Amino acid sequence: MTATKTVLLVDDSRVARMMTRRMIETDRPGWQIVEAATGEEALEVYSRVLPDFVVLDVNMPGIGGLEAAKRLKAVYPQAVVTLLTANIQDPVRDQAETMGVGFMSKPVRADVLMAFLSTEDE
Amino acid sequence: MSDFLDDVQRDAVTEIINIAIGQAAGALSQLVDEEVRLSVPLVHFLTPDRAAARLDEETGGGESVAVRQHFQGPFAGDILLIFPERRSLHLVRQMLGDDLPVDQLTELEQEALMEVGNIILNACLGSLANQLGMGVESSLPCYVRGRGRGILDSGQRPGIESEMVMFLHVDFSVRAKDVHGYLAFVMDISSARHFIDAVQAYVTAQMGG
Repeated sequence: MTATKTVLLVDDSRVARMMTRRMIETDRPGWQIVEAATGEEALEVYSRVLPDFVVLDVNMPGIGGLEAAKRLKAVYPQAVVTLLTANIQDPVRDQAETMGVGFMSKPVRADVLMAFLSTEDE
Repeated sequence: MSDFLDDVQRDAVTEIINIAIGQAAGALSQLVDEEVRLSVPLVHFLTPDRAAARLDEETGGGESVAVRQHFQGPFAGDILLIFPERRSLHLVRQMLGDDLPVDQLTELEQEALMEVGNIILNACLGSLANQLGMGVESSLPCYVRGRGRGILDSGQRPGIESEMVMFLHVDFSVRAKDVHGYLAFVMDISSARHFIDAVQAYVTAQMGG
């Protein structure tokens, strides 16, 4: 039985957020899901909600996911963050690894997403 | 108009694009949970007008919907995902589930197509960049609707009216979902030459040359 957790979904695409939300609601019923549409908004929501997990798109208007992850980890080094992006280029994966955040390519498979959401259960 | 590429270069470009489109097809297949069939990539060097006419011929001359992203790096251009007819509701339903009411599906159609485009176009661009060992930056996806000329004209290259463009396209279909479309690259000649040089260098390196 997985304890109820909070997930912050960050993506400028409403559809992308809906798809990820649907997977989480199916596999982790009862979990709280909060959303943000930009990197800037994600930082604001994170500081207010302090979610257990952050799923972060990369290519977004404004500061984008990589910069948002960098700023987030600078203030909250314990934050559990993964990128979820269509940008599969190796340098993006490398930057994620350097920052200590996960990397998932779109479209994400449910088992991959759930493995990330089980990070703290290990 | 084929003298921009010799046979070996054409073969190399086709192979590199095949691999990149394969990545994109894998992403689309995962989205729709069906096999995606692909044609062999075709490379043409055409005037912008001729490229638009060619697209019109292949899409039956009707309106298409497309998602376009501009990319830049060692070479620059536009990459487009084009659906000749408005069959995209099938895709949206597959992505968001059968339980959404039709009016909401319709409302979300454009956004869903943009996300499909974002995933597929970046899978293709990312694979290309990874294969060639180059970084390619892409813009956010934009949605366009119209005939060939309106679909292909990005409005970002005012000086190329009389120039040739490299028009590279692949047909894809998801038979079970009655969805088919095109993935196209458009590059001006200068960028196309850089692209072909990069492909040539990659192939030479792979063959230990």
